[in-house]
Amino acid sequence: MSRTSDEYLRDVPMKSYDLVREGLIALAFVAVLVVALALIFKSPNAPTIRGEDVAKNHPLDYLKTSTDFLTGESALESYGPPYNESRENVQKVLGLAPANILGVTKLIEAQKDFVLGPLERVAILNKDVASALTVWKAAKEEQQKAWTKAYSEALDKAEEASGEVKVAAGDYGPVPVMMFGMLALGRAGLLEGALSVSDTLPYTLDNTKAMLFFQEGPDSDFAESVDMLGNQWGITHEVGNLPGPWWLWPYAIWYQIPPLNESPNADAIVGSLMLLFFLLLLFAPFIPVIKHIPRWIPIYRIIWRDWYAKQEGRSGK
Amino acid sequence: MNVTENLKSYLKDKLTLDDLLPTKLPVYLNSVAYLFGVFSLCSLFILIITGLTMAIFGPLWYHVSGTGKLFNSFHYWAVQLLFLFMLLHLATKYFLGAFRDGRWKTWMVGALILGASIFTAFTGYLSAANWSAQWHAVEAKDAMNAMGIGGFFFTTNYTQVLSLHVAFFPAAVGLLVVIHILFIRHEGPVKPYPLRGGKTK
Repeated sequence: MSRTSDEYLRDVPMKSYDLVREGLIALAFVAVLVVALALIFKSPNAPTIRGEDVAKNHPLDYLKTSTDFLTGESALESYGPPYNESRENVQKVLGLAPANILGVTKLIEAQKDFVLGPLERVAILNKDVASALTVWKAAKEEQQKAWTKAYSEALDKAEEASGEVKVAAGDYGPVPVMMFGMLALGRAGLLEGALSVSDTLPYTLDNTKAMLFFQEGPDSDFAESVDMLGNQWGITHEVGNLPGPWWLWPYAIWYQIPPLNESPNADAIVGSLMLLFFLLLLFAPFIPVIKHIPRWIPIYRIIWRDWYAKQEGRSGK
Repeated sequence: MNVTENLKSYLKDKLTLDDLLPTKLPVYLNSVAYLFGVFSLCSLFILIITGLTMAIFGPLWYHVSGTGKLFNSFHYWAVQLLFLFMLLHLATKYFLGAFRDGRWKTWMVGALILGASIFTAFTGYLSAANWSAQWHAVEAKDAMNAMGIGGFFFTTNYTQVLSLHVAFFPAAVGLLVVIHILFIRHEGPVKPYPLRGGKTK
């Protein structure tokens, strides 16, 4: 042992020890365990939900999502930092809004980035979409809102059959052509590319927009069906029976308990609680009650039972 | 002041072979409770080996190749075991009062390892490029944004998340683990609570 530990353990009987041998045996044990578990249970790997899947299998959901972004009133428009300057939904804890510190660092203009931008690309390939876009751009904002409102309401009553969507006739202006342009983009498997394309690079280095596109609709619906929403212990779950990150249950539990399960500031409050608990863990050796608990709950008597038996035997002689 | 001389003197005192490769231990180390630390270390070693293999061949490999999927499963189960052993290690060390007699540094570095490991595993789940990764990325962004770190850590940015998972966080965990082990070896295992009249004080 070192000089420091030799001094510390001066009055303690020692036994011989082979660190390398013990390490190798432990490694073999853990390796066998890992290999056996992997071969028997494999690992969870449910496929992602892609724009192409939604466009082909759930075209109505696809159209509703696209139309929602086109209205300019989607949930993302009022999300706030880091995506935009809106402040109405910024989460607060103790009156502070940590998201405002860095502010907008990844600007997303949902209507432009999620619908009008991709449609500009579709317009190059499709004259009908090009004409519809021209009409849309020439219209006043009030007119645009009237068209999208009417079309959104019509989609709520629309029917889906054999992968096609039937929308009742109405005054929707160029919106149906634009939205079926979006649907064609999805069916061609090009939605994610159109959302993630870089202005300067030939690589897709940031897929944030593609990830956000279906969050509120198809993704959320599927997550609920496999118990992965936040109020279903979502982050600790995997699809199927294999374990997910179960060690996050001290975090996930707060999202199940009132009032946090319905609080608009839940993420900020739970995040702050986790930070506090981590600091308690970190500084446990200095916190009066926490550092004494091990002495009050004598689990150490079980772990060191041989030592105490010898000590008590010696003192009893 | 000669900085090199001071560093040399410090390392001579703190990094001895007796510290790194001990051949004797106090007799009170006589329980399976002392194995959880070494099991955690073994799980981490397997994670590094399987992780390096997956990093060499890339994310597509462990989705389409049979061998890649197998390594993905090794990696997945090694994470599960790492957290199991690490939390058992934490619990037993806490209930042994292992932070006593000046061992607070070892404890605090251990707590930092747990924190860094949680973020390593989290970015790993986001790097899996499957449904869980897709959903957790959009869900977790709200927590990151609410805490103010979403302004530079984007859970929905795959390349950033993958870089953090294969470089930054493992390096942090590895460095902290080395420091943790050096503290343990240098200071020796904490003594049992002393007896007072047949009872511990």
